[in-house]
Amino acid sequence: MTAAVETGQTTTIHGDRVSLLRVLGPAHVWALGVGIVLVGEFTGWNFSADKGGALAALIVCWVVGLLYTSVAMIDSEVTSTVAAAGGQYAQAKHIVGPLMAFNVALFLVFAYTMLEVSDAILLGDTIVAKAGVEGLTHNSFIAATIVVLAWLNYRGVLMTLNVNFVITAIAYVSIVILFFSVSPWTQGAVLKLNELVTPANALPYGWIGVIAAFQFGIWYYLGIEGTTQAAEEVRSPARSLPYGTMAGMITLLIAAAMTWYVCASLMPWEYLGITYYPLWDAGKLTGSPLLENLLFIATLLAALASANGCINDAARAWFSLGRDRYLPSWFSAVHPKYRTPYRSILFLLPIALAFAFIADLNQAITFSILSGVLQYTFMSINIMMFRKKWPLGSIRRGYTHPFHPLPAIVLFCLCMVTFFAIFLGFGSQLIAMTVFYFLISLWFHFYRYKFVRRGDQFSMPWPKPQGY
Amino acid sequence: MWMGLSYVCWAISAALAAWMLYDWFKVDTTYSEETLTSSREGELEAVSEKHRI
Amino acid sequence: MARYTPPEQSKAGQVLDIAVVVVAIFVALWLPLKLGFAGAAKSIDALDAKTWDALGQNATMASIWEKLGYTPETAHDIIQNRFHYIIDWPTLIIMAIVLIAYFVFLFRASDKEYREVINEKFDDK
Repeated sequence: MTAAVETGQTTTIHGDRVSLLRVLGPAHVWALGVGIVLVGEFTGWNFSADKGGALAALIVCWVVGLLYTSVAMIDSEVTSTVAAAGGQYAQAKHIVGPLMAFNVALFLVFAYTMLEVSDAILLGDTIVAKAGVEGLTHNSFIAATIVVLAWLNYRGVLMTLNVNFVITAIAYVSIVILFFSVSPWTQGAVLKLNELVTPANALPYGWIGVIAAFQFGIWYYLGIEGTTQAAEEVRSPARSLPYGTMAGMITLLIAAAMTWYVCASLMPWEYLGITYYPLWDAGKLTGSPLLENLLFIATLLAALASANGCINDAARAWFSLGRDRYLPSWFSAVHPKYRTPYRSILFLLPIALAFAFIADLNQAITFSILSGVLQYTFMSINIMMFRKKWPLGSIRRGYTHPFHPLPAIVLFCLCMVTFFAIFLGFGSQLIAMTVFYFLISLWFHFYRYKFVRRGDQFSMPWPKPQGY
Repeated sequence: MWMGLSYVCWAISAALAAWMLYDWFKVDTTYSEETLTSSREGELEAVSEKHRI
Repeated sequence: MARYTPPEQSKAGQVLDIAVVVVAIFVALWLPLKLGFAGAAKSIDALDAKTWDALGQNATMASIWEKLGYTPETAHDIIQNRFHYIIDWPTLIIMAIVLIAYFVFLFRASDKEYREVINEKFDDK
């Protein structure tokens, strides 16, 4: 390792600068967002049925959909204005302050790394379940997933997201094929919703079950906000990011509704709530080997796409931390040939591998959700501060979201409900995580921050914020 | 068949990990640290800022 | 306002900082697993009569369970494994206090740092 020595502040633009490449278009943004999230339809969302019954899963699908629509709207506005790698991290740095930014970056890295871990475990377990061979463990498949995708990310962002676009599209189309091949317009032939979801079993735990279901309802959409990580690699961020994010959100709402409808009409909620492969099982239950195999492959592809996007996003967030010296600037290196944050990718690889080997799927998902919800809480406050410090008209925004402050208030309230839901299942874990963030914040505020240059952190060409 | 696939997966992982380590070493020894860590946030924005002042 | 010049960090210091972060991550994620914090109270409400009827499954449901390879005996532990949602007030209050304290500290300390950033950035010009 070489100590990162920089000679004063460089303001020259030309010269031997190595920066990330601006090569992506809106389709890549869509692929990054939907790619990360779509795996949630193949596993994870269905645990909300376990928490509160089949109807609860549908209710949270819609209500959490509202939460994420708010997230997407708010995020589009802020990020089309603060277009820098690190996404919400750069937003926090310009709007709230350095310590917040440090925490947000950690939320991002945790949420994405744990999501990547969940994807790898899911992929490994799916293959093992399919093989049904005695003595076959998931470890080799997990290792291959994480290492191959890290390699792909290492070699360049354009190829990474092209691959993501293709595999996400295939996985998505397979949900649509499944939906239309079970004749969704007639009940009774294949689908038996009214016999499986009856008034007696729709909400087996009553309304507290619905609230508890929020925890896994998050999984329908978790990660859509990751589109912002590509901000520095998109050709025209002010246009592509809102467009790609919104298109992604619409795609996901449709997929979530179709997934719930098919799965709830094919299996009893008690089974739906515990299976790791709701869509694959749905494929099996249709009795068609073609659909079964299609959904098996789609499950693998969705897991791959998600892990791929997560490596991309986690590395960008980690890279940004290094670039501002919040962490040693060693991490901020860009590969001179492939133009990727290669040291961050390599650094996070063994961490992901280690957790994939020791954690189980449920726990990894919970870690990811916890960090996600902490981040959404921040976003609702962030947008309020953004509008106050730079009112409309004071700076150029790529996109302005409507009905402010309603989305922020909705988002904040739903986050509180979700915290309560997490408390019902994983309260002690939430406390442990928060204590960790608290301690590391103290470390940053009182020690690490002394290595950070003050004025340089504010890189946007904006006027002075109001009230300062 | 599945067992074989499992071994292939280990082999691919090891090979790609080795290649990345090799490339990392090569890059770090070929280029100076200043060059590698020369990326700056908001570079494009910095250009417009310069023009305005 | 005078421009703040951060000290150069030694190589050893950088390595140490990375180590601190990595250890913190592992402790935060791994310790709750180890201590068995995770998981809500889920327990099996055992039934004596193990039939689809007693398990509250109608004919359609029973046929799907059978298609999935279950018998009433094997499905019993899945169907009767229920959550028991109890609001544990002390834990809820501790959780609320920890969360609020964390966010208050976060915003106040950030604001202090942010003012320095803004002063240096805009007074330099």
